[in-house]
Amino acid sequence: MTNLNKTLMNRATTSAIVLLATLLPAILLAEQDLEELQEQAVKSAVSKVAKSVVRIETFGGLEKVGRMLVGTGPTTGLAVSEDGFILSSAFNFIQQPSSILITLPSGKRAAAEIVARDSSRMLVLLKVNSDEKLVVPESIARGTMTVGQLTIAVGRTFDQNQPNISVGILSATNRIWGKAIQSDAKISPSNYGGPLVDIHGRVLGILVPMSPQGKGEVAGAEWYDSGIGFAVPLEDINRHLDKMMAGEDLFAGIMGISLKGTDIYSDEALVAAVPAKSPAAEAGIKPGDKVIEVDGAAIVRQAQLKHALGGKYAGDTVQVVVLRGEERLEKSIELTDKLIPYEHPFLGVLPMRDADVKKGIVVRFVYPGSPAQASGIETGDHLISLDANEIVDIVGMQEMLATHEPGAQVQLKLLRNGEKIDVELDLSKLPVEIPEQLPPAYGSKSEKADVETVGVVEIKIPEEQNSCIVYIPDNYRAERAHGLLVWIHEPGGFDQEKVVSRWKKYCEEFGLILLSPQSADPKRWRSTEVEFIRKTIDDVLANYNVDRSRVVVHGHQAGGSMAYLAAFGHRELVRGVAVVDAALPRRMQPPSNDPIQRLAIYSASASKSKLAEVIKAGNDRLGSLKFPVTTKNLGFDPRYLNENEIKELVRWIDTLDRI
Amino acid sequence: MLFLWLVLPLAAKSASFSEVIDEVQPRMVKIYGAGGISGLEAYQSGFIISSEGHVLTVWSYVLDTDYITVTLDDGRKFQAEFVGHDPRIEIALLKIDATDLPYFNLDEAVELSSGDRVLAFSNLYGVATGSEPASVLHGSVSAATDLAARRGAFDTTYRGPVYVLDAMTNNPGAAGGVLTNRRGQLAGVLGKELRNSMNNTWLNYAIPIGELAQSVDDIRAGKLIPRTEDDSRRPSLDPWALDLLGVTLVPNVLDKTPPFVDRIRPESPAEQAGLRVDDLILFINDGIASSCRVLTDELKFIDREEEIRLLVQRDKELVEIQIRSVD
Repeated sequence: MTNLNKTLMNRATTSAIVLLATLLPAILLAEQDLEELQEQAVKSAVSKVAKSVVRIETFGGLEKVGRMLVGTGPTTGLAVSEDGFILSSAFNFIQQPSSILITLPSGKRAAAEIVARDSSRMLVLLKVNSDEKLVVPESIARGTMTVGQLTIAVGRTFDQNQPNISVGILSATNRIWGKAIQSDAKISPSNYGGPLVDIHGRVLGILVPMSPQGKGEVAGAEWYDSGIGFAVPLEDINRHLDKMMAGEDLFAGIMGISLKGTDIYSDEALVAAVPAKSPAAEAGIKPGDKVIEVDGAAIVRQAQLKHALGGKYAGDTVQVVVLRGEERLEKSIELTDKLIPYEHPFLGVLPMRDADVKKGIVVRFVYPGSPAQASGIETGDHLISLDANEIVDIVGMQEMLATHEPGAQVQLKLLRNGEKIDVELDLSKLPVEIPEQLPPAYGSKSEKADVETVGVVEIKIPEEQNSCIVYIPDNYRAERAHGLLVWIHEPGGFDQEKVVSRWKKYCEEFGLILLSPQSADPKRWRSTEVEFIRKTIDDVLANYNVDRSRVVVHGHQAGGSMAYLAAFGHRELVRGVAVVDAALPRRMQPPSNDPIQRLAIYSASASKSKLAEVIKAGNDRLGSLKFPVTTKNLGFDPRYLNENEIKELVRWIDTLDRI
Repeated sequence: MLFLWLVLPLAAKSASFSEVIDEVQPRMVKIYGAGGISGLEAYQSGFIISSEGHVLTVWSYVLDTDYITVTLDDGRKFQAEFVGHDPRIEIALLKIDATDLPYFNLDEAVELSSGDRVLAFSNLYGVATGSEPASVLHGSVSAATDLAARRGAFDTTYRGPVYVLDAMTNNPGAAGGVLTNRRGQLAGVLGKELRNSMNNTWLNYAIPIGELAQSVDDIRAGKLIPRTEDDSRRPSLDPWALDLLGVTLVPNVLDKTPPFVDRIRPESPAEQAGLRVDDLILFINDGIASSCRVLTDELKFIDREEEIRLLVQRDKELVEIQIRSVD
């Protein structure tokens, strides 16, 4: 029997099913071999879409991407226009092949090129160099999809003559911040780039690896064949297909606001800062506004806002409603792909941490050469208002300043010996030098702890095999907020005695808690253990008084790379990352600087380190993103910090609540 | 109406599936043998293929012992006799001392195609013991394809047709289990765990009964001559080489350096056939030439008396080139 005949027969069977289902009473239907009918329907659906599913072969390129071995086998694509445009998953091209071949429905091979990429949904658009007309599949709209409906994942990787399929149901229609639908059909490199179709062979979306947390082409690929698989709805892609066909890359859309709070699932969408020149700033959104509606959908919590904006592209326009006090304001905002990096402003002072004042800030230290020094601010001054707004505490002051940028002029009111003084000053940027000497942050000394358990305490996180210890200084006092130093040990094991004896005296002198989570395998850290590190930090935050502005993750060599992962992955927790002889993890996209979630970088390295060049490039990159990067030269040979350098690092940590 | 059709079958399906499964289970056995160290399981699956106690399973280290135990579906335990095996397709035949057993008749096996609903029976992870029935998984045939499609893609001695499945059938202990269609008719044997090196995923598959029925008959008749790999897969004794073609490729600096033509010797077979400098060689005799190394290796399999067909990319065009044999 020819293929054509088969197809015709399958079509006939489908019509028969439809007739049966509509005309016959349910009892009669149950007597039919329903499995057989469904089986036939699946085959007919696949044969309907088969001509649009093309096989892709790539030549040359990288052998490995990160730690993942890149496959060399064929992958799948879906025709989206008669004149040669084919969509596929970016995963299929991570090796950056030097040549791409498509096998056309006629069986002929033709060369293809990548025309455009969609870095929001991790898709690529190919154009094949051939006159042969492609078969464009029928697709269905998002609104008509029902969770539970039968779905078939189709690829063309095993055999050119016959697509490979996997049958499942639609598990969810709104995943990965609205970007994807989910199916329990087995989705893997065997069908990434192919379509997810319904029982009628109509396309729901393009199969891709995706992960709600991870970013990049390979994120989510570790879930292959797990019953959790994703597809990007074709309807969403079609809306921007013209742009891609014209060779334009697509990027995720950014509005440019920072929100107050750290829990996106419970906190409301209160704007904390709006970087200058961002789309939100241009539209007139201000700190203190509360986002309550996006494109007609109500926003109560931050996660809903993330959902509403997650699927948007740069260039899309969204209708945003904010509340300013009682006033309801409607704004139309065109999203952008990149913000001009935000840079934190700097007044030039360190605050006392136990000042005997109800409100405001008492100056502990004035940075030499800072705007504060230039305008005559002195140690002991009591800062009470900024631009006529009352200063409440250190955090409040930082948030108020975050709406400014370096170069801005501010009015400061302060009290000195009972006298009110007005000062005008031009803000500068956060310093990267570490002061030589610092006066104490507390007026009184703490001699004795007021809790029973000090010293080394073990932390056990449920369901995690990893060990972890925390060192509580001998003079810990619950009313004092302590800094938190999270030490990520280097590969090769953890030496508790050495680590505790290294940090003990500084913990006591500078009010630091030392936390030391350990890798499950003493020889190496796995990137997924970032979540374990996060849980240990949460545990300390829940049980001790921690100054959130001085939480620092510190590591040497691979421990340093892990520190970067932890810091970038948990901006809401980490305010400083200090690494020694460690580079930014490769393929890691550093996040953009955030007005509210401050992050300072300390990077020490030696000129003969194997990583010297990569470390330098990473530091430059972070610097260009306007993070304050303090670099430390350790001489020729790579090593850990000596005693003087450790003292300096501790002083750096002690300055992180700088204003 | 689609709703009606999708919801209603559940009742009908559960009845018919459970009947089918009840029919198949008495034919399944659990096999215990060597292993149990360094993460190797000491168990696998098998099924009865004659009323007088022949058990078919896959050939593996589990059977590499004098004490192989077979547990029937009803819990009866037998010491099994090792009848023989075929190393090429990695199957083995055992015999237990029992009669009047329910069995699968290999001659009545069915063929499957992509999209067919299937049931897979096995003792995966050794979860069933004693009289506990084998585990049943439900899925579809993802593809009916050929494992030998590309050299080095699969690390197995078996080269031939397989049913790729969309259920997680091939787990530790599942090898030797049964694949049936939705009516419980025998279709294939679940293979050992296998990695698809083309995309680094685990493969779930079964070998069609039709591929091994002859071997089983031969083992039973005691006349099995292990068949070697077919000759076409052997390197040629007098192969082609780049030098003979008159082609120099770009320096092979990376493992996956694409095979671009760097130089062509004047009056060489390559020049006469029209190959040009800067051509990128994509295919050689239907085999993909994904890198300089793969191309060089592939040439070793082509006899000098054969002609070579190349598919090359020249700018955006694909050009086919035939290089004649040298005398």
